[in-house]
Amino acid sequence: MTNAVLKTVNLVKVYSGGAVPVHAVRGVDLVVEPGEFIAVMGPSGSGKSTLVHMLGGLDARTSGEIWVDGARADTLSESAWALLRRKKIGFVFQFFNLVANMTVADNVELPALLAGASPRIARERREHLLGALNLTDRADASPAQLSGGEQQRVALARALANKPSVLLADEPTGNLDSRNTRDVLRLLGQVHKEGQTIIMVTHDARVAGLADRVVCLLDGEIVDDGRITRRRTGTAGAVIDLR
Amino acid sequence: MSTARAGGRWIQADLRARKGQAALTVLAVAGIVAALITAVTLLEDGTNPWRSLFAQTEGAHVWFYTRDNTAQVAGTGDLDGVTRVAGPYRSAPVTVVQDGKKEPAALRAMPASPPQVAHPVVAEGSWLDTAQADGVVVERSFARALRLRLGEPLAITALSGKRHTLYVRGIADSAEQGFYPEWTPGLAWVLPQTLDRIEPMLGRSEWVTGLRLADPDATQVVSQRVVVMLDDQLQRLYTWREIRAAMELDNRLLGTLLALFGMVGLVAAALALANAAGGRVLGQLRDLATLKSMGFTGGQVALLLLVEHGALGLLGVALGTLAGWGVTVAVLGATSIAPMPVLSIVAGTALLVLAAVGLPAWRGGRTPPIPAAPALPPRGHLSRLARLALLVRLPPALVLGTRDAFTRRVPAFLTAFGLAVPMMMITIGLGVWATLDNFADHPEQVGQHASLHVGPGKLDPAEAERLVRADQDVQAVYPGADVNALAPGEGRSVRVRAIGGSADPYPFPVVEGRKYGEPGEAVAGQGLLDLLGVKIGDRVRLTVGGSPLIVRIVGRAVEPDQDGEVLSVGLDSLAPKDSVPPEFYALALRPGADRGEVAARLLAQSEEGLDVQAVVNPADRLAIIRVVIVAMIAVLALIGLANLLTASALGLRDHALDLAVLKAMGLTPRQVMATLVTGTGLLVVLGVAVGAVAGVSVVTGLIDLQGHTSGVGAGIGRPPSAMTLAIAVLVAVGTALAVALIPARRAARAQVPVTSR
Repeated sequence: MTNAVLKTVNLVKVYSGGAVPVHAVRGVDLVVEPGEFIAVMGPSGSGKSTLVHMLGGLDARTSGEIWVDGARADTLSESAWALLRRKKIGFVFQFFNLVANMTVADNVELPALLAGASPRIARERREHLLGALNLTDRADASPAQLSGGEQQRVALARALANKPSVLLADEPTGNLDSRNTRDVLRLLGQVHKEGQTIIMVTHDARVAGLADRVVCLLDGEIVDDGRITRRRTGTAGAVIDLR
Repeated sequence: MSTARAGGRWIQADLRARKGQAALTVLAVAGIVAALITAVTLLEDGTNPWRSLFAQTEGAHVWFYTRDNTAQVAGTGDLDGVTRVAGPYRSAPVTVVQDGKKEPAALRAMPASPPQVAHPVVAEGSWLDTAQADGVVVERSFARALRLRLGEPLAITALSGKRHTLYVRGIADSAEQGFYPEWTPGLAWVLPQTLDRIEPMLGRSEWVTGLRLADPDATQVVSQRVVVMLDDQLQRLYTWREIRAAMELDNRLLGTLLALFGMVGLVAAALALANAAGGRVLGQLRDLATLKSMGFTGGQVALLLLVEHGALGLLGVALGTLAGWGVTVAVLGATSIAPMPVLSIVAGTALLVLAAVGLPAWRGGRTPPIPAAPALPPRGHLSRLARLALLVRLPPALVLGTRDAFTRRVPAFLTAFGLAVPMMMITIGLGVWATLDNFADHPEQVGQHASLHVGPGKLDPAEAERLVRADQDVQAVYPGADVNALAPGEGRSVRVRAIGGSADPYPFPVVEGRKYGEPGEAVAGQGLLDLLGVKIGDRVRLTVGGSPLIVRIVGRAVEPDQDGEVLSVGLDSLAPKDSVPPEFYALALRPGADRGEVAARLLAQSEEGLDVQAVVNPADRLAIIRVVIVAMIAVLALIGLANLLTASALGLRDHALDLAVLKAMGLTPRQVMATLVTGTGLLVVLGVAVGAVAGVSVVTGLIDLQGHTSGVGAGIGRPPSAMTLAIAVLVAVGTALAVALIPARRAARAQVPVTSR
C-alpha cells in the first residue's frame, strides 16, 4: 500500500462554471501499484477523462487527495504540478497533440530537455525511442506529414521520454483505425511488459482487454474494479483479433 | 537552463513556421525605430552644425553692424558680461560673378593672423597671407554654392561697378552667419589692404563687431544695451539664436515630420505586434496546453511567448537603431548622434514592445493545460450587420463572411484599428505631398507671386525698370527693397520687405486680416507676430537704419522666408533714403512663361548688366520630404500587412472546422473562399475607410499647425486630392484582399480535416 505509484482518496470534481454544478467525479478511491496496467472504462460523460486529467494535475480537484509516489500532490500549485509532470507523469492524448511546428525528433526530445537532460542525452534517448517505435526514418518529418497511427506512436515516444512513474493515456486509440490501434496497443503492451505503470482511459472493451485491471466509472463513481487474471500472451491474442 | 533549452527549441520551430510574418514584424518595428532615431537626431541640437562651429571658432554671441568705427563701438567691449570683442572689421558689399550668375557677397577685412575670438576655421587650403594680396578665403557653404575650389579665380564687382579678380586661398567655416543661400549675402574674407583697394570708399562699407559673452543667456540684455548705447549708429544686430535657427531650419521641419510619423507609427507598430502575438497565441492554444501537459509551468509558457515575440520586436529595435544610426551618420556625419535621446528611444521602444507582447504572453501562460479541451470556440450569433446582409439577400457566402468578421470582438477591433492608423498616416503623408505640390504649382499662394527678382546691377534703375517692363512675358513689375529693421526690445534685426506700392499692393497671400492699402500699413508673417508678441491690428515701431518705421499690422500673410519673421510693407512706407531707387524689381510673369527664358532674355538685353535671381520655391528646398513620405508609406504598409496576416491567419484558424460544415452544406470552394475573404475584407474596408476619413479630417490642421510653429503660418495645408485618396484607398483595399485571398484559396481547396481541435 505504501509503495503505490498513485493513490486517490475520495477524489471529487465539481464543474461549477455553468448554471447547474456538474459532479463529474464523486469520491473516487483508487490505488495504483507499480507496474500495473489499468484501463478506465465507462460511457461518455462518466468522468473518465476528468479523473485522468486530475491524476496528472491538468485539472484541479474539488476535494479529496491525490498521492504520487507517496507524496501528497493535490495541494500542489499549478507550477509545482508542472514540475512533477516533467519527471513522473507522461501523457498521451486522443488527438496526439504533437507540437505542430516541431519535427518529430524535436517533439520527442522536448520533454527530455525540459527535465534537464543535455542535448546529447536527449538525442540519444530520442534515437532509441524512435528506433524502438520504428519511426527512425520519420525523425525529420513534421507531424502533419504523419499518419494518425504514426503520430500517436510519436506521442507515445514523447510521453515515455523521461521514463515517467506513470503513463496516463486518454483514449489513445480513440481516433485511430483498427490497424493503427493494434500497433499502438502493442507498443503499450510492450512498455508495460518492461515495467511501465499505465492508466488508460477507453470506452472500447476490446482495448480494455489488454489491461491487468479494469476500473469502470459511471456518473463519476467507480462501479466496478476488477483484475483480469489472464496471461499476457492471451491479451496479445485478443488484440490480434481486432484485425 | 533545462527549460531554456527546451523553450529555445520551441521558439526556433515556431519562428521557422512563420518566417514571413516574423520578418514583417521585425521590418515594421525597425522602420519605425529608424524614423524615430533620425527624427530625434534631426531635432536634437547635436545635428545643428551651429554648436560645433561655434565651439570651433570660439564664436561671438552678438553681432552688430555700424556705419562707422567709432569709440562707442569699441566701448561695447566694456559692457557687463562681454568677455571678448571680435573686430570691428570693415565689410563691403560686392557681387560675385560666377558662371554667369551673380551672387551677393560681403567682403570682410580680416588680418593675416586670425583673431582669438570668432576666427574662421580653415577647412581647406590656408588662411590669408600678406604675401598673397589677391587671396580670398570663402565661407564653406558659399564656396559650395559657387562650386569654388582652391586656387580658382573669384570675379567680384564692387559697388562702383569695378571688377576685380581674387584667388581662392582657403575655404573656411564660420559661426558668424547662417549658411548660404538661406542666409545672404555670402561671406568671404580678404586682408584689410585688399579691401581698401577693392572698395576705397569708406562710406560704402560697414563695420562688423562680434561680442563674446561669459553667459549666453545674457545675450538679450547685452544686445539691448548695445542698441541703446549705439542708437543711431547701429545698422542691424543679430545674435547666436538667429544664426542657430537659420542653420537648423530645414532639419526642424523634417525632424518634426519624422517624429510625428514615428510616434503614430510606433503606436501602430505596437498594436500590430500585440495583434500578431495575440493572434499567434490564440492559434497556438493547443500547442501551449500540450507544452503545459509536458511540464512547462504557466510562468514558463508566458516567458517563452514573451521571449519569442519580444525578441522579434527587440530585433526590430536593434536593426532600426542601426539603420537610423547609419542614415544620420551618412546624412549628417558621425558627430551628430546624440547618445542620450537615442538611448532613451531604444529603451522606450523596447519597453513598449515588451508591453505590447506582454499581455498576449500572459494570456498564453494562463492556458488551461488540457490540450483536448476546445480552445475558446468563437461564440457568435448573427450580428446586426450580418442580419442586414441576410435581409438584403446578399449571397450566402457574404452573409457568412459578414458574420465571421465580428465574432471575435477584440481581434476585429485590433485589425480594423491597426489598419486605420497606418491608413490615417498615409493620408497625412499624401496631404503633405499635396501641400508641396501646391507650393510648386501655385507659388503665389506662398507669397511668391513674382518668380524673378531683378536688381539694377550695373544699369541705371530707371533703365532697368524700362527693360523689365518692356519684356513681353512680364505681367507685372513690383519695385521693392529688403531692409533690416531693429525690433524694439528684441535686441535683434528683422527683415522688412518693401514691395509694390501701398495702393497697389503686391498680391501677398493674406490668410488673416486684409492687405495693406495705404502707407503705414503692413502685413506680417506668423514668425514675426510670434517674435514681437503682437497681433493683427497692433501698431509696431521699428528702426530702419536710424529712422523709425511705424506701421499698423493689418493682416497675416503666408511667409516661407526667414522663419516667417518678415514684415511686408509698401515701398512708400519706407523713408525715401531706403526706397529710392528700388533695390530690386519683382517680376510676375504671364501664366505659362518660362522664367529661365525671361531671365536669359533680360540678361542678354542688358548685356549682363542686370542682376537676375530666380526665387527659390519652398517645395524645392523641402524635396527631401518627399523621400521621407515614400519611405514612411512603405513602413506603414508593412505594419498594415502584418496586421492583415494576423487577421487572416486567425480567421482561417477559427473557421478551419466550419469549412467542413460549409462544404457539407453545399458551398462550392469558391463560395468558401468568398466567405473567408469577406470576413477579413470587411474589417479591411472598415479600417481603411476610417483611417482615410480620419487622415483627411486632420491633415490640413496638422500641416497648418506645423506651419504655425515654423513661422510660415497656417493656411498652407492641403488635403490630398479626391483622386489620389481614392486610388490610395483602392490600392490598400485591393492589396489587402489579394493578401487575404491567397490563404483563403488554399484553405478552400484543401482537404478538410475532420479531426477535432
